[in-house]
Amino acid sequence: MIKPIATLSAALFVVALATSVGFAVAQGTSGKSAQGSAAKTGGPTAAPPNGYLYIGYPNDHQTFAAGKPIKVWFGLRNMGVAPKDVKFPNTGHHHLLIDVDLPPLDKEIPNDRNHLHFGAGETETTIELPPGKHTLQLLMGDEKHIPTTPPIYSKKITIYVR
Amino acid sequence: MSRRSLLHALAASLLALIPSLSTPTPAPANAEAYIIWPYDGAVIDGGKLWVRMGLKNMGVCPKGIERPNCGHHHLLVDVELPPMDKEIPNDRNHLHYGAGETDARIELPPGKHTLQLLMGDSKHIPFDPPIYSKKITITVR
Repeated sequence: MIKPIATLSAALFVVALATSVGFAVAQGTSGKSAQGSAAKTGGPTAAPPNGYLYIGYPNDHQTFAAGKPIKVWFGLRNMGVAPKDVKFPNTGHHHLLIDVDLPPLDKEIPNDRNHLHFGAGETETTIELPPGKHTLQLLMGDEKHIPTTPPIYSKKITIYVR
Repeated sequence: MSRRSLLHALAASLLALIPSLSTPTPAPANAEAYIIWPYDGAVIDGGKLWVRMGLKNMGVCPKGIERPNCGHHHLLVDVELPPMDKEIPNDRNHLHYGAGETDARIELPPGKHTLQLLMGDSKHIPFDPPIYSKKITITVR
């Protein structure tokens, strides 16, 4: 009774192995064209597929008076926060992108005035912005500041300072 | 004199013992835990809600992680603050967010309920001084 099943599973294993090898070969040959999709998949750290990142405050299209600090709340569901260098399943740390588009999602997130890192596990901050139109977006990074797979980022919101 | 010095030695050895049993983790300066949502007095239809857990001047890190200025959230539901020098209980009135969560999905039966946040260190023990939020009351209908 057991033998046919064992041979069947062995055969299946061989088939699976062959397909994965074939897949690897196919990937290797089309390395350049695959780069676009690789960028969308993010870095080596896995994130829960239902991970949800949002800006709890401010609201999209909100207007602020110039010269006053603006509080930003980082909202995160179905995953947790851990400081940089801490490897813990289903966690990452927040990065706030100001007036900038998403960076490459398979590389370390830049660290400059447009990409603020919250590597101590902070879940809120206050920022000051010059008068004008500004965008805010959150992006989770793993312990090495590389976005996860799938990449977890918020909707990009627009705020006005006048 | 000799009796006094003996007492001193005895007291010193006793004091030396105490911290080795449980050294509270010092709280970061100005750290503050607060419930972003729901607001005090909120009325929730259905009883399923996300509690947004707010934290100022410190960071979140999962349980077991020894790092300065970070801890993890505990949500106290319908209960008073537990002893501040012991591990926070882990039951349906004391919800642990040891994976570093900052939004908590909870479900409550109809009626009045209290919610309060209490930060725990890597071993689920409150900080010194303890960091806890105002206790809020919500109504589920």
